[in-house]
Amino acid sequence: MAKLPFTNDIRTLRFLAGEMTQGDLGDRVGVTRQTIAAIEQGKYSPSLEVAFRIALVFGKPLEAVFQWETGSD
Amino acid sequence: MTYKEKASWLMLVAMVLAYSLYFGLIIAGHPAGTSLFAMLWLFGTIAATQAVVVIIGCIWLAIEARKLPRARIDERDRGIAARGTAISYHVLLTAMIVVGVVMPFTEPAIKIVNTALFGIVLAELVGLIVVVTSYRRGWHG
Repeated sequence: MAKLPFTNDIRTLRFLAGEMTQGDLGDRVGVTRQTIAAIEQGKYSPSLEVAFRIALVFGKPLEAVFQWETGSD
Repeated sequence: MTYKEKASWLMLVAMVLAYSLYFGLIIAGHPAGTSLFAMLWLFGTIAATQAVVVIIGCIWLAIEARKLPRARIDERDRGIAARGTAISYHVLLTAMIVVGVVMPFTEPAIKIVNTALFGIVLAELVGLIVVVTSYRRGWHG
């Protein structure tokens, strides 16, 4: 599996949001707990809509949740 | 594991068991390899049994999934399913070209039928393996 060219801070943001669970975040975004886990681990690249919804839940801009890795194409 | 992932594993295991038996018997010299009537009986029995097992298993998995508050199918499930279908299509297409275009010139009908069945089973197996692998190892869509 190719490595994603971006990372994310969802785990940290969940912690800062009062230890929000993956299931709770999934409920609010409209995906399963397993999909949130896969996104956190870099095993799944979410759609733009889901990425925006995740950022919206945390009240952050998209680039505060997902960061493009320097040097990636 | 999501409901879809569990259901994919169930279908994969059921298919491997059922059709290993079917094609194993044919290779071992069962009349289904030479007689159309015997083939229909053997294939019908094994396919029907496999279908019943999968249907009962999927119903049970669905009931179990409904006990969970967050059971649903999302974009990842749909994307992985589409990937499995897209890849299995190429296997199926290749098998059907062999069966429908090449074999009619050289092989008897019963062998063509069994090869067609093998192609369909192989295509479905490849699709299911792609699905379960995509869940386990990850997939970026």
